[in-house]
Amino acid sequence: MDEAVAEYIRRTVLKIPRDEIKTMLEKWGFLSETQLQTINFHQIKDNISQDVVQLCEENSADIKQAAVLDIIYNNIYPNKRVWSVYQMNKTEEDTELFDLTDFKKKFKRRLRSALKNVTINFREYEDNAIWIRIAWGTPYTKPNQYKSSYVVYHSQTPYVFISASVLKSNLPLLCQALVVASNYHDICEMDLRSHSLNSLKDIVFKRYSQNFQTYYPRPVQEKNVAPASADLRIVQENRNEKERIQRVNREVFGDGPQPKLEFAQYKLETMFKSDPKMDVLDKKEPFRCLVKFSSPHLLESLKSLALAGMADAPLSPLLTCIPQKARNYFKIREKKGLFPGSFVSP
Amino acid sequence: GVLAHLEMLEAQAHEAAVKEEETEQQEEKLASLKARVQELRLQRDELRAKVDLQQKEQLGKGGVTSDLAQPSARAVLEWKIKSLKDMLQVFYLTGISGKLTKRGVCFCISTAYEGTYLDSYYLDLLAKPEVQIHRHSIPIFIPLEQIAKKYLQTDIRRFLFVLSDHLNAYVGRRYQADQLQERFSHQIEGTLQRNSLCNLLVFNYNVSCQNKTFPFNVRLLYGDLCCSLPTEVIISCTPDTPASLAEMAPAHSDLFRRTALHKAFRSFSSAEES
Repeated sequence: MDEAVAEYIRRTVLKIPRDEIKTMLEKWGFLSETQLQTINFHQIKDNISQDVVQLCEENSADIKQAAVLDIIYNNIYPNKRVWSVYQMNKTEEDTELFDLTDFKKKFKRRLRSALKNVTINFREYEDNAIWIRIAWGTPYTKPNQYKSSYVVYHSQTPYVFISASVLKSNLPLLCQALVVASNYHDICEMDLRSHSLNSLKDIVFKRYSQNFQTYYPRPVQEKNVAPASADLRIVQENRNEKERIQRVNREVFGDGPQPKLEFAQYKLETMFKSDPKMDVLDKKEPFRCLVKFSSPHLLESLKSLALAGMADAPLSPLLTCIPQKARNYFKIREKKGLFPGSFVSP
Repeated sequence: GVLAHLEMLEAQAHEAAVKEEETEQQEEKLASLKARVQELRLQRDELRAKVDLQQKEQLGKGGVTSDLAQPSARAVLEWKIKSLKDMLQVFYLTGISGKLTKRGVCFCISTAYEGTYLDSYYLDLLAKPEVQIHRHSIPIFIPLEQIAKKYLQTDIRRFLFVLSDHLNAYVGRRYQADQLQERFSHQIEGTLQRNSLCNLLVFNYNVSCQNKTFPFNVRLLYGDLCCSLPTEVIISCTPDTPASLAEMAPAHSDLFRRTALHKAFRSFSSAEES
């Protein structure tokens, strides 16, 4: 077995939390049950990984099989990477009969015709997600397995989720291969990025909870519930206001959990508005400014702003439109016309 | 001559198409009328109950007043809530229900396949300045924009019916594929290749003859997105399959084209048992 492959497998196993190593190796299926039983999973990770490499040596693992283990790891821990969403377009409107074998063949052919030194692996999952792992080389060097790119694609949808590696120069080639393989015409990057792959999927596939008004009997939340220990000395002065805020929040954000985004960025190119007498800026130039909101869970925190009394409800549509517009990077320019204000560029 | 014959065929085809359209429209009409009938029946029951209640009240007042004869206000309220819920349930059961919103209508399309209720999808429409879709929860692989471009502005009812057809067919295909994977996994060799729309399924299944099993490879193409049965079935078998088994392929192909996937497999297992 290749030294490089052995080292790669060793390092991949080291990344896995110790309690998960056994399950992941079972999912991998490269080592047999009997082989797995010979490993002591209670020793330190260093030793476990050495044992695993030893067994892979017995089975003569090659880089393709090692890459599968890497895909499995990234599929279980996708939040360690930053994912961007790309949208593909096509003009023909014929019925899509997506054939997986066809897709894989076209993708590999396109990539390999441009770059011989690539490692390409596919893995399909229950939810129709196709995971593609690409390790990039150059015409003169072997693929760098440690800086591989990941693509997640759901068939018959126009969205692709890409976690590119540092080697951004290979991105155009990757995009081209995707377009060709999936029978689309072109692809462009959306302004939507996050660590949470599932949340990105929720946003573009519209799987997040939107509050639709329907007659379908849903469990009605009782309003005037007397609190368990009603202390009559405490009077809720702002009960109406609180209820209004709750209602508005519900209309905007819905009832369910919000998709998980870490930041929203607004690039302002608007004119600075000040008291004409002060005349702060001589030139009438847009005041360039970047506003960035960061949070471990941005949308949930926005949802709780009004309830916590830190902001007025309803919140600015610039903040609440994020899931619906499927973007968290905005450019705000002056609205040209009679009413100076701001408008969000599409 | 030939041209005359062609003309005649053309005319026949045209007639057939017109007839088909007519029957389609009639079916749509029938479905909506049936829903209306349900609605009216519920209303009638409500009114009957009201009348009964009033009569009982009259009796209660005229005769010996006992607390039991006169229903309490609470009981009346409960009964009202129940009949309202029943009414809403009827709307839900017809598959397409709507609610007026401040700026338009919000529709809920409920899907079902052969008696099993499956997912519900929502469409929030705005009425002004023109009918447009504000928000929705339709899966991304359903060709919503195409259908909207064709019908949304001109015929909302048609739009909803076509969309409902797409959604019902999709959940039907998905249900069949899921059932196959869940209940007949022992007969499937390897993995079942599918896609998001479940309109192309490729898999191998075992056919046995004298205690030996041979794999048949089947490719199910669902060319019509509004249909939950395949339009094309291609079955192939390995060269070493005995001729007696290979001859069964066209029969299998026919079965897949006519019956639901899981039902076809159920008939295979029962055929083997007999």
